Amino acid sequence: MKRIQAYAFFIFTIIFAAISYIPNLFAEPTLPQDIVWLSNSEDPAFSDESAKNGGVFRTAIFTFPLTFRTVGPDSNSSFRGAILGNQLGLIGIHPNTENIIPELATHWAFDKDKKIMYFKLDKNARWSDGKPVTADDFAFTLEFMRSKHIVAPWYNDYYTQEIDKVIVYDDHTLAVVATKAQPDLHLRVGLNPTPRHFFSTIDETFVKKYNWQIEPNTGPYQIADFQKGKYVKFKRKKDWWAKDNRYFKNRFNVDTVIYSVVRDMTVMWEYFKKGEIDVFSVTMPKYWHIKTQIPIFENGYAEKIWFFNDTQQSAQGLWLNQDKDIFRDRNLRYAFAHAMNIEKVIDQVLRNDYFRLEQGFVGYGRYSNTAIKARRFDLEKVAQYMTKSGWKRGADGIWEKNGTRFSVEVSYSIDEHTERLVVLKEEAKKAGIELRLQKLDSSAAYKKVIEKKHDVAWMGWSTSLRPQYWEHFHSVNAHKPQTNNITNTDDPEMDKLIDAYRNSLDEDERISLSLKIQEKIHEIGAFVPTFMVPYTREAYWRWWQLPKVAGTKMSDSLFDPFGSSTGGLFWYDQARYEETQKAMKDGKPFPPVTIIDKTYEPK
Amino acid sequence: MKITPVTLKKIKRFQSIKRGYYSLIIIATFIILSLFAEVFINSRALIVKYNGSYYFPTYRAMIPGNVFDLGYDYETNYRALQKQFENDPSGNFVLMPLIPYNPFENDLREDTYPPFPPSLLEKHYLGTDTIGRDIAARLTYGFRIAIFFSLALLAITYGIGISLGCLMGYLGGRFDLFFQRIIEIWTNVPVLFVIIIISSIIVPNPVILLLIMAFFGWTSITWIMRTMTYKEKAREYILASKALGATDVRIIFKHIIPNTIAIIVTFAPFTIASGIVALTSLDYLGFGLPAPTPSWGDLLQQGWSNMDALWIAGSVIGALIVTLLTVTFVGEAVREAFDPKMYTIYE
Repeated sequence: MKRIQAYAFFIFTIIFAAISYIPNLFAEPTLPQDIVWLSNSEDPAFSDESAKNGGVFRTAIFTFPLTFRTVGPDSNSSFRGAILGNQLGLIGIHPNTENIIPELATHWAFDKDKKIMYFKLDKNARWSDGKPVTADDFAFTLEFMRSKHIVAPWYNDYYTQEIDKVIVYDDHTLAVVATKAQPDLHLRVGLNPTPRHFFSTIDETFVKKYNWQIEPNTGPYQIADFQKGKYVKFKRKKDWWAKDNRYFKNRFNVDTVIYSVVRDMTVMWEYFKKGEIDVFSVTMPKYWHIKTQIPIFENGYAEKIWFFNDTQQSAQGLWLNQDKDIFRDRNLRYAFAHAMNIEKVIDQVLRNDYFRLEQGFVGYGRYSNTAIKARRFDLEKVAQYMTKSGWKRGADGIWEKNGTRFSVEVSYSIDEHTERLVVLKEEAKKAGIELRLQKLDSSAAYKKVIEKKHDVAWMGWSTSLRPQYWEHFHSVNAHKPQTNNITNTDDPEMDKLIDAYRNSLDEDERISLSLKIQEKIHEIGAFVPTFMVPYTREAYWRWWQLPKVAGTKMSDSLFDPFGSSTGGLFWYDQARYEETQKAMKDGKPFPPVTIIDKTYEPK
Repeated sequence: MKITPVTLKKIKRFQSIKRGYYSLIIIATFIILSLFAEVFINSRALIVKYNGSYYFPTYRAMIPGNVFDLGYDYETNYRALQKQFENDPSGNFVLMPLIPYNPFENDLREDTYPPFPPSLLEKHYLGTDTIGRDIAARLTYGFRIAIFFSLALLAITYGIGISLGCLMGYLGGRFDLFFQRIIEIWTNVPVLFVIIIISSIIVPNPVILLLIMAFFGWTSITWIMRTMTYKEKAREYILASKALGATDVRIIFKHIIPNTIAIIVTFAPFTIASGIVALTSLDYLGFGLPAPTPSWGDLLQQGWSNMDALWIAGSVIGALIVTLLTVTFVGEAVREAFDPKMYTIYE
């Protein structure tokens, strides 16, 4: 009996201990005490104080979106930008200073290891349906993005590989944990919230069910009305919670934004000329130089602006395959670079509308080495380098050595580039180098280059916020197919620099390594940079107004109505509208206006 | 070579059809002239006299500018040299061809952008294309490529088509049945698409393009030859030569083919015309010969996308009309001259 009692007592103790432990299991996670909360209310605002509210902004899209979802099948259309432009994240990046600025979070903090970032939410933040934005909505983002039911493998993968978890401390405090330490942690963990109250559960019906549902958002506008195949109308929220935020003030000024479907560029241009749409992008030389020579511009009813920006430029140019015998020799690579008369192409074919790209990583702010200058067309230098390596000019003027001619194949895939290449070809002939142009269908060209079968590839890479070197220049990726090291760069010193760059968590160190790597790329000389287009050009009716400095360093469009980073800077001027309408009726012209804004022109 | 009276009669008859006869003269002149295009249309001078020695750069290896003390290693710019010698008292001179441009060079200028309109002064008699290349030069060199391409295509397709067609007709039976089915399948392959697919994977050089087009182009003449052979085979003279012990090969080559030559000749000009059209349309679509090969299709494409530069589309369409028309006229005249009805003798 005693024994049983003792036994019961023992069990009781265990139960008691367990019970007393339970509250600990469900306890709120506690915020570390040693973190330093940061915010930013010092950077300059980039909007214009004279901006007025009002007006209807009409613009056009080529096709009606196939869905209003932003993930899942058919969601990756250009219209997705308009929807996501009205979804704020935890934090933003100031387009001119590149510092972190508040969006949904007012304060943020880093842990020592650069793995966790803490956020304090703005207590005023509201969804478009009036519900408050809570920390749980960010936890839900992770659940949502990892769900198989959204049919978006890329997001499934990204939110598993990059983000470890979201820790909710209370309704307005959270932390986002990355899977590994990151030098630019804030670029990875600045999540967007997803409204849990709207989606409740995600199951296999998701794709169909939410095809045309309008998801609540946190940005300045929301879809008010649409007709499939015809138009989508956005209306500004009457009392948007963030309208007095330092970096949102005097922005997002128009009341209504209408996207109409116009299926053809030429027809779109006619719509613009009739005033049916308000702005038209005239970046293309044909439009800027020729098509805008019409009365509405000559009479000043519509105006043009050429705005230089300073964003990451695509690394466009000629990529020399160092696994080919000719390009094993550095002198020959240098000679090749000096034989490319890029300046002549810019000057006499491209109407000086393009600019010389000096190196592969221009526009990355402090990460760009501005001291590097691309090798210029120089026949003497070509001769010097060639003779140094023991080559001689043959009977047809092309360099020769041991029966090999300096004749290389240039693979490219865009028809419009033929005219640039034929000029380069004729000029290279003067330098004694023969280019054999090979235009391939784009997928065939991609295959050829990615399998490293090319001599010279004429192509450009897309950009990212920070320069990526490992994939393009590390020897791990050389001499094998299906990697982006298409120059087959294999240099131990370069590997060391790239490894250090990848492993460093210190910004200053990374920057100095970045500059060194770019120098090294220039020294290896397997990439001949060609062109960049560091600007946007727009035509607009004169009642549309832009800030004194019309955009930001990062603006790739001046009339983007949404977008928390650079959008919504323009406004509608009712008085000018009436004045213009009257003048058009009376046939009274205004002086024509063409603005060239070089505030952010890359030097 | 002995010309039989029958052939002579046919030639006489052909000559009497004026339209076809003159067309033949025109097209033949074009072809012969295009063979020597380097003499008429070229950036290299015909004759240079410099410090007492004569140079003939046209058909020889490149002469670098240093030979004329111009201070550069690349090919002499003869147009500039000519200007330089204009007022030269020492008797140096440069004689340039009629059109002093080659089909590849870009005649670009400061502050103005091609295409440049026709100009007698600049010697761009038909203007330039969108990259400043002389249109007359590109038309001529493009013509040379197109016509010889077409002739080669003709030779290959007729070579295959005639031999196979003859064999089918002559042997008959299962061989005939088998190849009939093969050809039926073959003709159902959409040739243009196949070429487009192939040339998007590999860049065709002229020889490859020729082989691809011949590969699919030999079928049409086969049917005709097969029918003709069946008809001829049943004739008495074939029976006679068989009775005399002639081999099949001898019968086909000595008797049947010579007796069907009229048909072959009649079809040939039309095949040439369609060869030119096929090459031009492939180039137009961007799947023909690689840039910067001078080509009519490329010019047509440029003309289409630059309708305000009428001289581009005008020149190439004019050239196409003249070529196709003359070739077709020749074909018509040949058909009429070889028309067997004129000589049929009824037994």
